[in-house]
Amino acid sequence: MLTKKEVEKIAELARLGISEEEKEKFAKDLSLVLGYIQKLSEVNVEKIEPMAGGTNLESITRKDIEVKDIADDEMKADILNAAPDKENGYFKVPSILK
Amino acid sequence: MNLKELTIKQAHEFLENREVSSVELTKEFLKDIREKDEDIHAFLSLAEEEAIEQAKKVDERIAKGELVEILAGIPAAIKDNILIRGAKATAASKILENYIAPYDATVIKKLKEEEAVFIGKTNMDEFAMGSSTENSGFGPTKNPVDLKRVPGGSSGGSAAAVKAGFCVYALGSDTGGSIRQPASFCGVVGFKPSYGAVSRHGLIAMASSLDQIGPITKNVDDAAIIFEAIRGGDELDSTSVHREWEDFSNPIDIEEIKIGVPREYFTHGLDKDIEKNIRAVIAKLEKEGVKIKEISLPYSEWALAAYYIIMPAEVSANLARFDGMKYGFSEIKNSKLKIQNLLDVYLKSRGEGFGDEVRRRIMLGTYILSAGYYDAYYKKAQKVRRLIKAEFDNVFKSVDIILTPTTPSTAFKFGEKTSDPLSMYLADIYTVSVNLAGAPAISLPCGEANGLPVGLQLIGKNFEDVKLLQIAKLIETIIKEDGHA
Repeated sequence: MLTKKEVEKIAELARLGISEEEKEKFAKDLSLVLGYIQKLSEVNVEKIEPMAGGTNLESITRKDIEVKDIADDEMKADILNAAPDKENGYFKVPSILK
Repeated sequence: MNLKELTIKQAHEFLENREVSSVELTKEFLKDIREKDEDIHAFLSLAEEEAIEQAKKVDERIAKGELVEILAGIPAAIKDNILIRGAKATAASKILENYIAPYDATVIKKLKEEEAVFIGKTNMDEFAMGSSTENSGFGPTKNPVDLKRVPGGSSGGSAAAVKAGFCVYALGSDTGGSIRQPASFCGVVGFKPSYGAVSRHGLIAMASSLDQIGPITKNVDDAAIIFEAIRGGDELDSTSVHREWEDFSNPIDIEEIKIGVPREYFTHGLDKDIEKNIRAVIAKLEKEGVKIKEISLPYSEWALAAYYIIMPAEVSANLARFDGMKYGFSEIKNSKLKIQNLLDVYLKSRGEGFGDEVRRRIMLGTYILSAGYYDAYYKKAQKVRRLIKAEFDNVFKSVDIILTPTTPSTAFKFGEKTSDPLSMYLADIYTVSVNLAGAPAISLPCGEANGLPVGLQLIGKNFEDVKLLQIAKLIETIIKEDGHA
């Protein structure tokens, strides 16, 4: 069973605000799921390589050139306009360093 | 015209023979949605003007005597996690409540080239996390077959829209069963293509190594038509695959087909009436000359546990992009909150914008990937995933497809599984292995149990999607002949 303190820590790492009442509920829910996934300890995976993706493709690259499909001027404006706070074509965020 | 039964092929013929215009067809669907969707809530937003405008264009071409593409002028519904430029894309989350997509998903671009008509965006579990649409940030969708029951999820709005006759076909996405399970609950066809067959560019990511876009339709022919339209390698999705596909219309010989029936999918938890339906189909197939072989997939016992490690791990990474700064819901300018730094913006915006299930999975993934647990959980799950994939590969050496029930139960009632997340997760027990293996799979309507639709799942070998669809069509015909559906 996860403690309230552990849930606080996880929520902070995940950058999620959760309320006091929610901490207990999440502790219970997460413990239940973690209990279930312990099932995997029954499986012997000796000498098995992890499978990372859904296909056998490896290191697919493309040329680093600007493609109009990805960004035209109207799209650039739309993308910027979706931001809650912006200035002179930049996203505006609170200060990081004091 | 019976909108409920209308298929792509029929609609295309009606348009070509000028028995109906695309504008009339589109307006007919919109009228039905306005009258009946208040009860069902399959849609989160409609695109009436845009749809009619597109329909007009197609009508003008037909009037000039031009030949149009098979999807031209035919109304479709799109799951709300797939981007259509200029239209809202909320993924049923409050955090994206007012988000307008700045570009088209590749599948949308491809359908636009065929002049498809997009009638609206469909409801879903928030960020596709759930099996009932009860996790939608904007209220659940109801099952058109029985309004007291869930339509399944996460593509519940798309499945309900097809079943209710609000569109000719719909697109959904499937990460652990999110196309097949709602198709099964609503009594329609749902197809999840091989991982890599269809570009994921413009699909709001949930778990990137598992997600795949696919069609929800009224029959297998239509699923094949949509698959042909949306598949193909894409520079904007480096996991998509360029390849030549076989021709769906090529005939296949029923007596050459070998079907594997895994005993693990007929054990504990399977509804007795569902089992009876599925067994009846198997018996019928055998009589028609199909070779049925009992097989074993022992690692499927651990598929759900592996899935509930890999999926949340990927979720926690993918949803880190919702930071309250670039787009979506934000508390950055909320003067009541005394926002002082970056961390405040993250905590407040994400805490308020994400629903319970989404936060649960982000935290689960964060925990699993944190130092000290990574090897025990994540790496272990990836190894089990390898074993599951190898097991499928091995079975496909001796059978063409695998036949199973799609779900252990029929559509459940609202609230039945919401208090216990684990019981909800178990609704996907027969569908998650397929995503872990990257295989293609389809759910077909297979009669009823206790008055509710039953789904039959067919699983194919990776990239043998066309063969799977061909066999599915044969089985669909046999089920229909038998009066099951």
